[in-house]
Amino acid sequence: MGVPAFFRWLSRKYPSIIVHCVEEKGKECNGVRIPVDTTKPNPNEVEFDNLYLDMNGIIHPCTHPEDKPAPKNEDEMMVAIFEYIDRLFNIVRPRRVLYMAIDGVAPRAKMNQQRSRRFRASKEGAELTEEKNRMREEIIQRGGFLPSEEIKERFDSNCITPGTEFMDNLAQCLRYYVAERLSNDPGWKNVAVFLSDASVPGEGEHKIMDFIRRQRAQPNHDPNTHHCLCGADADLIMLGLATHEPNFTIIREEFKPNKPRPCSLCNQTGHEIKDCQGVARQKQGEHDEFAGAMPAAEQEFIFIRLCVLREYLSRELTMASLPFPFDFERSVDDWVFMCFFVGNDFLPHLPSLEIREGAIDRLVNIYKDVVHKTGGYLTQNGFVNLERVEMIMQAVGVAEDNIFKKRKEDDENFKRRNKEKRKRMKAEQQGPAFMTSGQFAPQALGRRDRPEPVHNARYQAYDMRMQSVEQHNKVASAQSSAGVSDGTDRGVKRKNEDSDSEPEPEDNVSRLWEDGWKQRYYKTKFDVDVSDDGFRKKVVRSYVEGLCWVLRYYYQGCASWKWFFPFHYAPFASDFRDIQKMFSEFEKDTKPFKPLEQLMGVFPAASGNFLPPTWRNLMMSADSSIIDFYPDDFAIDLNGKKYAWQGVALLPFVDERRLRAALADVYPDLTPDEVRRNSLGSDVLFLGRSHPLFDFIHELYRSETREEALVPAELCHGIQGTLNLDEDPILPDETVKSPVPLLRDISVNSAINVKFRDPQFAEGFVFKAVLLPGAKMPSKVLKPEDYERGARGPWRPQLGFNPNRQQAHLDQAGFRALGHSLPRAQQFRGQYSNAAPPSSYHQDKTSWPVNSSRTPLMQNAPQRPPPSFSSVPPPFPRQQQPYRGGGHGWDRALQAQQSAYQQNLNRGGVGPGGYQQRYDQRREDWGDRRDNRGQQQARGFPLPPPSRHIHWNN
Amino acid sequence: MSALDVQDFIQQNRATAQQVETFRGYWESDKHWEARREFILRNMSDFETDRLDHLLSLSMVWANNVFMGCRYSAALLEKVKEMAEGIVVEDAPVFKTRDEIIKSQQVGCLG
Repeated sequence: MGVPAFFRWLSRKYPSIIVHCVEEKGKECNGVRIPVDTTKPNPNEVEFDNLYLDMNGIIHPCTHPEDKPAPKNEDEMMVAIFEYIDRLFNIVRPRRVLYMAIDGVAPRAKMNQQRSRRFRASKEGAELTEEKNRMREEIIQRGGFLPSEEIKERFDSNCITPGTEFMDNLAQCLRYYVAERLSNDPGWKNVAVFLSDASVPGEGEHKIMDFIRRQRAQPNHDPNTHHCLCGADADLIMLGLATHEPNFTIIREEFKPNKPRPCSLCNQTGHEIKDCQGVARQKQGEHDEFAGAMPAAEQEFIFIRLCVLREYLSRELTMASLPFPFDFERSVDDWVFMCFFVGNDFLPHLPSLEIREGAIDRLVNIYKDVVHKTGGYLTQNGFVNLERVEMIMQAVGVAEDNIFKKRKEDDENFKRRNKEKRKRMKAEQQGPAFMTSGQFAPQALGRRDRPEPVHNARYQAYDMRMQSVEQHNKVASAQSSAGVSDGTDRGVKRKNEDSDSEPEPEDNVSRLWEDGWKQRYYKTKFDVDVSDDGFRKKVVRSYVEGLCWVLRYYYQGCASWKWFFPFHYAPFASDFRDIQKMFSEFEKDTKPFKPLEQLMGVFPAASGNFLPPTWRNLMMSADSSIIDFYPDDFAIDLNGKKYAWQGVALLPFVDERRLRAALADVYPDLTPDEVRRNSLGSDVLFLGRSHPLFDFIHELYRSETREEALVPAELCHGIQGTLNLDEDPILPDETVKSPVPLLRDISVNSAINVKFRDPQFAEGFVFKAVLLPGAKMPSKVLKPEDYERGARGPWRPQLGFNPNRQQAHLDQAGFRALGHSLPRAQQFRGQYSNAAPPSSYHQDKTSWPVNSSRTPLMQNAPQRPPPSFSSVPPPFPRQQQPYRGGGHGWDRALQAQQSAYQQNLNRGGVGPGGYQQRYDQRREDWGDRRDNRGQQQARGFPLPPPSRHIHWNN
Repeated sequence: MSALDVQDFIQQNRATAQQVETFRGYWESDKHWEARREFILRNMSDFETDRLDHLLSLSMVWANNVFMGCRYSAALLEKVKEMAEGIVVEDAPVFKTRDEIIKSQQVGCLG
């Protein structure tokens, strides 16, 4: 989903959905790498059956990484992709299925977004090259040093689009990779590997969904399959919920804001390209021994547990006294549907709904209000009830006016606060008006070098006095020369202070906060009068179709390959009137574009080198009948946003008829290889020799069966589908040539592959969005709302997948070592320190004994995060937390989340974490003693409890 | 050919007018379409039937430039402007490209 803020919002609101991955690293011994044995139990204390990879989320960071130097050539890119998959395989350790899906040709509805991304990428890339060349020249003229420019072309990330040679190579390489691992890696031995490359139409994640949906709909499916889907897109969460599978987990890279990026000129971190000085690299470590080390820590992975999200949602959505029976599964579908209003890849979001402004909460509240009147749910199995949706939209419409006013107010407040903050910072930097100097200079307490006794105090005092007089004179003369009459030095700075360093949003044209916003919006965005009802209806009709299309896409698959939203902007919620009749059915039997056709539809002329010459000519020649699709430059409407990349790219829409007509003339120019690349391919299934299905497939090849064969369900964990022989198969005991020169051929191959097709269903079949019979719900993770502390002791939040996780503990010496090695000064730094803590932190009703110097600090600075958010855990990070505070559900959950973070942090150095928790439990026993101790200890934190309290559980 | 002439033409050539009407994009407002229709009607006689798509393309180049702020090569723009000579578009919207946005923001920062 094109909403980066969505995941952030979700993980803040529902923190317990996140579990940090435990990753076992391969060891190295005498320079030989020992691979991790993935046949062993999963260190995350959960076993996954199926792992699905949305490959585009892997290909992009591996081919043009943002946090490290780019790979030198295509071969290195392929190796990077293999290593990334290996890493994921090691973390997830799927036992039944590995499904790799690369984006194929997408539905037309996605084309607008793809076009806009590729046109932008091309433009930004050209800009970067230009700036690079300019800076390089400048630096070299100044005598700076730069690594010599490698003779390589800039990697055009636009080639990650189906139909290009790059994607074709990638498919070849992945076939080799899979065969290699199936032959040699014991962890892969019994896994069925599916590869759906770019020649199979459909977006990667939707091909995965189609697979799951179709498997679920056939009788042999195991309803308790544990799925794990890899990808960073927020809409994977929606898709996962839409499957209604009880065990569904998403794995993604942990999002770390503000990671240092290397300068693209000299590859050093610490500055941006425009500040590049071209100085020689500093030695890393005394003898430059850390030179090869990565500047930043390796990206870590997190799990997102959808079953926990379902728990949260059931708390939020459950409604009593409804006029119809409450069905949680249906309300989840409605929730997913409402999230589409806030943003998705296929429709622009409604102007009044911004995720940052709590749009989803607002929608949920409205939904719960309105659902009493609607008489039922908004959606069923991916079909929308428009009459009920209209009621929701009208309720949003009523609030619209206020939302815009409030947005303006918030924005102004934000700017004002920022300005004040800058002013304050400046004042702080300037320091006090008078400061003693020399031997009277203030000294920090507790430093090693004690202040010396004062010598010659009189003279020093005189000196200071003279200096301050001098300083004063200087300021005064500066002011008079600047011609400032009011005599304060503020006058000089005035101008600088007023100019905001943040660029102003330019969307003052629509002024949505002033009366008449609707007229202005339609005028500036669509260039029509608000009185033009016909046009407004057209926009609304398209949007309604869009909502139906998107929901259907998520629950039933692509309803129409042709449909798209033909505007750049959305209508207002209040415009959704009489929408019930606006949509009936989509055009049937539409066909996706061919790969090269889609390339013509999404590429700018600058990426034309990926196309055959005569095709490219259509993008460039003034005499082309489709030249209007390829503007050299285009306008960007900031649409209320601040930066160009957030704005709306105003690109013309592609006329499919004209595109096809123009291509008909150049189709004969394709080479045989291009014809092959342009054809639609098939999913492929790979198996190793010890897989039960292996012999069955091997037999198919031996008997050269030309007709389709069904997968015998009992041989492959109930997975169904039809098999077809591959024209160029990988067969056991036949050498598989390596397409990457860096890697060796597989001489002893024991893998086999065959074409695979998902189970087919009759036209008009509806996939049911329900829990399957026999599905066992995973045990609850959140603290029950009616949890009574009494007899069962304090609630212990669950940190990982295992509710009965064994905890390890530190003994006294361990605490000492930890306290010794952690620099105390860093306690407030860390990735989360800019985030305000949720308000529930300060609902603490119990007052804690002031036992360390840190506690008062926390009270004075409530905007600071609690210490346990910092990257380095302070010795006793949890003692200020309101563990017994208000009975708010998320309160607990939040702690669970922090513990998860803590756990992760501790994992590196001090073995399994969890000592803090134990500490919490023990705390009550010795909290009173701690008081005194805290004061006795010079370091300001208490010793661990006496040893009799420490139990080693493992 | 003024707006009136367009009306006359449409009245007299029903078949052509109907054919041209099929070229309208779903997203085009009356204002945008009427201007583009005039562009097509004016120049239709210069294009053979099998080169009609070229005319449509040029009409879109012109409309995209005027109503959406798209830039094309100078030669191409010159050509369509010539073809559109005399078509009146009242208060056409104003647009900024990425470069212009970034430039204006940089100026704002320095000033």
